[in-house]
Amino acid sequence: MKPVVYAATAALVLTASGAFAQDTIKVGVLVSYSGMGALGGQQTDAAIKLFQQRYGDAPGGHKIEFVRRDTGGPNPEVAKRLVQEVVTRDKAQILIGPDFTPNTLAAAPIVTEAKVPMMVIGAATSGIIGEKSPYFTRTFFAIPQLCKPLAGYAIKNNWKKLHVMVADFAPGHDCERYFNAEFAAQGGTVTGNLRIPLSNPEFSSYMQRIKDAKPDGVFIFMPLGELSLGSLRAVNDSGLKAAGLKIMGTGDITDETYIDAIGDAATGVITTGIYSTQHKSAMNEAFVKDYVALNGKSPRIGWSAITTWDAMRLVYDGLEAQKGAKFDPDKFMAFTRGRQFESPRGPITIDKDNGDIVQNVYIRRADRVDGLTQNVEIDTIPNYGFK
Amino acid sequence: MASAATVLFNGIAYGVLLFIMSVGLSVTMGMMNFVNLAQASLSMLGGYVVIAFTQSYGVPFLLSLPIAFVLVGLFTIVIERLVFRYFYGTDDLTQVLLTIGLVFMSIAVATYFWGPGYRGVDVPAWLTGQTDVFGLTLERYRIFLVIVGGLLSIVLIFGLERTRFGAMVRACVDNSRVANGCGLNTDLIFAITFAVGGGLAGLGGALSANLLGIDPNFPLRYLVYVLIIVSVGGMGTIGGTLIAGLALGIADVGGKYYFPEIGSFVIYAITALVMLWSPRGLLGRHQ
Repeated sequence: MKPVVYAATAALVLTASGAFAQDTIKVGVLVSYSGMGALGGQQTDAAIKLFQQRYGDAPGGHKIEFVRRDTGGPNPEVAKRLVQEVVTRDKAQILIGPDFTPNTLAAAPIVTEAKVPMMVIGAATSGIIGEKSPYFTRTFFAIPQLCKPLAGYAIKNNWKKLHVMVADFAPGHDCERYFNAEFAAQGGTVTGNLRIPLSNPEFSSYMQRIKDAKPDGVFIFMPLGELSLGSLRAVNDSGLKAAGLKIMGTGDITDETYIDAIGDAATGVITTGIYSTQHKSAMNEAFVKDYVALNGKSPRIGWSAITTWDAMRLVYDGLEAQKGAKFDPDKFMAFTRGRQFESPRGPITIDKDNGDIVQNVYIRRADRVDGLTQNVEIDTIPNYGFK
Repeated sequence: MASAATVLFNGIAYGVLLFIMSVGLSVTMGMMNFVNLAQASLSMLGGYVVIAFTQSYGVPFLLSLPIAFVLVGLFTIVIERLVFRYFYGTDDLTQVLLTIGLVFMSIAVATYFWGPGYRGVDVPAWLTGQTDVFGLTLERYRIFLVIVGGLLSIVLIFGLERTRFGAMVRACVDNSRVANGCGLNTDLIFAITFAVGGGLAGLGGALSANLLGIDPNFPLRYLVYVLIIVSVGGMGTIGGTLIAGLALGIADVGGKYYFPEIGSFVIYAITALVMLWSPRGLLGRHQ
């Protein structure tokens, strides 16, 4: 399993930057190219490719060179070694990734000591951005951003009794805590909490518990992958969905990359999300069109593509701001703090104090659109942040 | 009461699913003393075959199941001729390292051909939804699984444990030189047994695809369950594998229903206890 190094392939030298001496900035990209997160890594590369096609490869005269490494999933030991290698040996000056919370935490001491700005594109745990390293900036989301808003939405629709089903790991417990507290505060009743083991092919006993409790609906938080698929299929196959049980959860459960495999069990599911290809804006329509033209229709565009895209936006704008100067990581961080910009997902603000993301959170319903199941936005909670 | 009965039925259906996925490995491991971890990859292949035939060629789901059995069985013969036959009689570690290597290769190959994402299977409408049986609302696909599992056990127990062919296989395993000397074509018998074991794995993957979804990491995710069932049941016994599958299926579903906080440990606790009590499994064959 020798890590493979891809040199940046884009060899176009921008004529505009030819006027002054060009330096090279190495950007480490640490995402999953294998294992359960492989679809994420694929999207990251696809988004970078499109970004460079549009904006060139030398923002502010700094030629970008990528150093890619495969984290292969949540492996803090591996991630730590890779970050060390990329920072000390390859002399990467900016990092995109590593993905997953454990990997992000493992990277913190290294990037802090080496002063390497790091874009967190795939770790959602609250309390890591700004706290673990001053060099973190998040373009993903924080768990409470997606877990809390559905409480209010359920109350508004008069779903007063909910069963809460989360995956039995730290982010799941986090989400359960935030949702339960918010739902209780708004006058709802949680009829029961279920924690699903991370390796669980069989959901029927949990479905029977929900049947016994007779709630109005179920709130689901599962990581990307087979648990999301399994839980939605189980709610459908057990007859709960047909009996009128409302199904909601965070956007992971209806992620575009496997919503087709979930099939009809996904239709009608209400989720919170940061991005859907169905988002109505000229910028998003152009983004989706160009992305598909460059990378093909399949695999579909998920969140890794958009979080990478916005990370690239920050990197490019930050480097542009240091045009003609030697790269200064602290100036770069100061530049990103408090920055506002328009993304295909909607307006984004990077919190000026801690570097976490403030963004629109969308309530979506999975519907059939032109023969495909899509997450269609039905409500917006604007500029929703979390501290 | 109705909940308890439904939970019991769901446990049985899950047990049958575990049985179907594991029985192929039990056959090759027990009858031929060959540790083939790549069995789980053959299950994945079976799943992809069903997806390809039902979605691309419009073959009905029920017909795609025997196709998966046959194609994966034939594929297994190719692998057996090219790779496995050179490793009969080597020690367990060599076989484990070889076949786990094949698992990783299969993951990469599946990613290359089908992409890293999940694929679902379309089952006919009459296999989806629920049916009332004796006052219980049961899932139709689970009823279908139980029926298929029952038929499969009968066919296998009589076919492999009670027939002349089964005896020939055991003779070849226990002493292939003598068996050869008695006029048995050991090469052919090994190849056929391997093909049947592989075909069963393919069928298992084909049947589970609807419930579990198929993706390139399928082998690694379900290998543990397959190994648990085979070890608890005892290698090489169809009956033992069936009992282990049912016992662990019912214990898992029941445990998760009545004690959701600790339910997921039940399956591992039982495995550990059985292994302590009888390291060869419930009905393991003595060497």
